[in-house]
Amino acid sequence: MLLTFVQWCSNSDAIVYIRDSRYGMPAVQSVHLVGITVLLAAILVLDLRLAGIGMTEWSLLWLERQLKPWALGAALLVLLSGVVIFLGSPAKYLASNPFLFKMTVLCLAVVFHFGVLRRFVTTEPGARWLRIVVAGVSATLWFLVGWAGRAIAFVP
Amino acid sequence: MSLLGWCQWLEHTPFALSISESIWLFPLIEGTHILALPLSVGMIVIFDLRLLGLAFRDGPASLVMREVVRWSKIGFPIMFVTGVLLFVTQAGKAYGNAFFRTKLILLLLLGINAVVYQLVFYPKMAQWDLARRAPVGARVCAGLSLLVWIGVIVCGRTMAYQF
Repeated sequence: MLLTFVQWCSNSDAIVYIRDSRYGMPAVQSVHLVGITVLLAAILVLDLRLAGIGMTEWSLLWLERQLKPWALGAALLVLLSGVVIFLGSPAKYLASNPFLFKMTVLCLAVVFHFGVLRRFVTTEPGARWLRIVVAGVSATLWFLVGWAGRAIAFVP
Repeated sequence: MSLLGWCQWLEHTPFALSISESIWLFPLIEGTHILALPLSVGMIVIFDLRLLGLAFRDGPASLVMREVVRWSKIGFPIMFVTGVLLFVTQAGKAYGNAFFRTKLILLLLLGINAVVYQLVFYPKMAQWDLARRAPVGARVCAGLSLLVWIGVIVCGRTMAYQF
């Protein structure tokens, strides 16, 4: 059922056009990468502040408020372009170990961000070591998503 | 030796071959180059957005420059070293590639743009530090930086499709 729907999307005129045109996929991949640049920069700023090693002139709450619209916009770009890239060759991605790993770590990163990190943003509690651990886990998870994405090109 | 000849020679030096023939070295360098984007370009983007009055508005611009841009001083050396290594392993192919050439020109433009900002607008930052957006000249620099950096990312990503 779901697979049929994916297949139907993958054969839609828009996706076929992107897949078959010379610069279609590179353009979508570029959007993906621009979005990643902004999204991960916002996450890095929060992680550095949470760990207390950078951006210490501002409060975590203020930083989060400033970055939120840009991070959400970037996340939307990454998600939409990511869906298009996936639909370009769904069979290839579903058979790819790094892709499945990437999606797993992505889920973990999102859950960790909204479940754990955001609590530190709104209340700023906890010992210094705890904040460093949370920042470290956040940065590791998000960059692991990126590395797994890169690995799709090199690992079956 | 012509420049093309030199590029082809470079690509076939034992050093270059040891990278391009290694199953993990090339992916590692390429991955590092791409994942250093948030720490280099991403930080500059935040400063550009502050100058344009689109983020971090209710704080001094000089503070954003001091706190955020300084992290790009870690990101850009990583970019440069990994970028040079990637070029060395594919110099012959990169030489004639339109996207690679465009990327180099755009990087040169960004360098000039940054120097102009440092020389013309940075010394007077104190005068408009608390303004919600920078004066028009500085905003032009910031807008150019934003657009051209996107161009660099597009060229870099597209280039990789053609090798």
